[in-house]
Amino acid sequence: MASDDRDNWESPLQFVLACVSYAVGLGNVWRFPYLCQMHGGGGFLIPYLVMLLLEGVPLFYLELAIGQKMRLGSIGAWTAISPYLGGLGLASVVTSMYLCLYYNIINAWSFWYLFHSFQSVLPWAACPVNSNRTGPIEECEKATSTQYFFYRETLNISPSIEKSGGIHTGQALCFLLAWVITYLFIIRGVKSTGKVVYFTATFPYVVLLIYLIRGMTLHGALNGVKYMFTPKMEELANPTTWINAATQIFFSLGLGFGSLIAFASYNQYHNNFERQAIIVSLINSGTSIFASIVTFAVYGFKATINYENCLDRTRILLLNSFNLAEDSIILNNVFEMIEKLNTTFPEQFAELSNKLEDCNLENELSTAVEGTGLAFIVYSEAIKNMPLSQLWSVLYFFMLLMLGMGSMLGNITAITTPLRDFRFLSHVSNEALNGFVCVLCLLLGLGFTTRSGNYWFTMFNDYGATFSLLLIVLFEVITVSYIYGIKRFEKDIEDMLGHRPNWFWKIMWGGISPLLLIGLFLFYVINYIQGGTPTYQAWNKDLGKSEQTEYPLFGQAFIGLLLVSSVSCIPLTALYIFCQRRKHAQRQKQQRTVNTVAA
Amino acid sequence: MLGRIVFFLCLPSVLAAQLCKPNAAEGFKVRLSIKTALGDKAYEWNRNQRFLFQAAIAFAMSHHLELEFNVSNILVCDETPRVSFWFVVTSPGDPSRLVGKESVELAVRESRSRINNILLLNDATLEFVGVLPTLTAPVKPATPSWLIVFGVVIGMVGAGIVFLLVSTVVQKKRKKNEVAEEEDDDEEAQMKRTAGNEGIYNTSFSEYDRNTQM
Repeated sequence: MASDDRDNWESPLQFVLACVSYAVGLGNVWRFPYLCQMHGGGGFLIPYLVMLLLEGVPLFYLELAIGQKMRLGSIGAWTAISPYLGGLGLASVVTSMYLCLYYNIINAWSFWYLFHSFQSVLPWAACPVNSNRTGPIEECEKATSTQYFFYRETLNISPSIEKSGGIHTGQALCFLLAWVITYLFIIRGVKSTGKVVYFTATFPYVVLLIYLIRGMTLHGALNGVKYMFTPKMEELANPTTWINAATQIFFSLGLGFGSLIAFASYNQYHNNFERQAIIVSLINSGTSIFASIVTFAVYGFKATINYENCLDRTRILLLNSFNLAEDSIILNNVFEMIEKLNTTFPEQFAELSNKLEDCNLENELSTAVEGTGLAFIVYSEAIKNMPLSQLWSVLYFFMLLMLGMGSMLGNITAITTPLRDFRFLSHVSNEALNGFVCVLCLLLGLGFTTRSGNYWFTMFNDYGATFSLLLIVLFEVITVSYIYGIKRFEKDIEDMLGHRPNWFWKIMWGGISPLLLIGLFLFYVINYIQGGTPTYQAWNKDLGKSEQTEYPLFGQAFIGLLLVSSVSCIPLTALYIFCQRRKHAQRQKQQRTVNTVAA
Repeated sequence: MLGRIVFFLCLPSVLAAQLCKPNAAEGFKVRLSIKTALGDKAYEWNRNQRFLFQAAIAFAMSHHLELEFNVSNILVCDETPRVSFWFVVTSPGDPSRLVGKESVELAVRESRSRINNILLLNDATLEFVGVLPTLTAPVKPATPSWLIVFGVVIGMVGAGIVFLLVSTVVQKKRKKNEVAEEEDDDEEAQMKRTAGNEGIYNTSFSEYDRNTQM
């Protein structure tokens, strides 16, 4: 058991805010709206809330209970439950390590965009001029100016993962800044983190509220909100909807990384974590829904602007080809005029047909984007069209930073807390240990600032944590329910809270959640095998768009390494402990035989 | 006599009609989008505005080739309600000869912003079909502005970290001194305690004599 002078949160509120700050992250803003759009708009809320109930809250409760009871980080906590399962904690630490390596690059990008917002004209608002000053740069013309800014000026992306190129110095500087700030936030462990979370947990909501008001007053925003939220109930019959809902709840709450165990280990023994678990899970889901409304309003605005630009281009094309007076065609009667001109001048119109674009508002609305594409390309495109765009840009990227930094706090704490529990490190000061972890992650993560860094980022994002987490949490639930025993767990909770957990929790831990997790795990495995060679989106600068490319052999090997390295900790540690115990038992037997001989 | 006078009077316009036609080899098509550019303040395209355009092109040609061009050297034809038309430039020395397309293009490009300003339009609303616009090179400050903001932020964060580390070290030193003082206090208290209980046996005044008495 941990010594009594373990650091503590200054108040239960700090703990709740820390959990909220950790759980409410970029995924709420850039993954949930995408899922909502793909799986039937408002109807997606049904599988989402059902999965929250069946899987999200029970597992969150479980991790908090373990952390608060054992008062140790993930490695120590699982070793205390059963020495053979120390590998479970180690797997969590390894997965958190991978996450820490690649997550901060997103913060680096947010910093880059934030610093570039302090200009009179936003750099992604217009294409830069080419070398002989006759027009915009070709790559920028083929793509859009926001895509060009992200892929060429921010990342300077190489054509494929094989060509690594050099380090982008601007990126590296922003990455350094991200790690320096992370160190500042965790420098004294929970004493620093506890103060920082007051800000990182609450500021994003202020910005989201401001954006909600601004978003709803934007031209065409209601188109987006109406389109996205109209429920398409037939999607509920699709099993992928339910699987995606389960996966989203799972990853959104940040289960399995060991961060929740680490945070809870700094609680007072009798802290009422049951209520806090429910509160944090509800806040997390509520934030996802809130962020989707804002995102859909922004989508609607962007789609309407693009649609109207398309109509304008068509209008000019018609005016120029038929030499009509300027005010004969306005945006509202473009389609009527097309009909009229088609009937009056059929041959001339036929010549135009290949230049004529098909302007459709629904098509614009249905372009669904997720991930960094949504956060950095779609949003910045919408922002450049808003009046006072610099202000909105600064607000938005600052919010992204707070969301990202808040999650980083949890990720880093998941690594430093178990390390701190090792006896041979206990004489090392908090500052030195945290500094060492930050510097190590900084140096290893510099690879993501190279020209092919975005491809490595995507690889880590898709394979580094998804698969191993499912296995880790599955093992956690089975361990607590069957190896440790539900009865013992019940008694521990009663000891801490003063009352036993409801029958609802017991059914979830014992039956429903493990079954759900096994189902999800099987689905992932089948998907992975059926999917063939893993692919990624490579940016083609000549065409100005991304193309699906297969990973080269070393890429696939690295994916395998990522998947295996964290998961294999579990059996390897169990084996190691088993061998150690056998050796220990054999030595004891030898000593006893020696004694009997001597006696 | 009258017939010949009429013939010679009509000759320039006939010549003009032959020199200036749509898709002329040395001509350019021009498109104006006056209502788009000026909205309510849009002017009506009439003979006087056309005259202004011709004067502007004459200026551009004179400026570029350093010859004296007149408004009559700029021939305009095929006007449409779009407000688009073709124009050709005749040589000042010989009105039946056209100036080459490349020279006209260069002249227009050189004085493009002046021509735009004269007509209260810009590169997008005054279109010379086939002539690429000369875009202004972007202003690049010596230090990109983002580096300045970056420098400020990282400076503040670095100062914060140094401050926290120094204060930790100072706190630790203070604690060590306190602990040392406490230990001293402890020893004194211990001595007082032991003095109160049994005392430390001071053997100088004891009667126990190690040496045997003689």
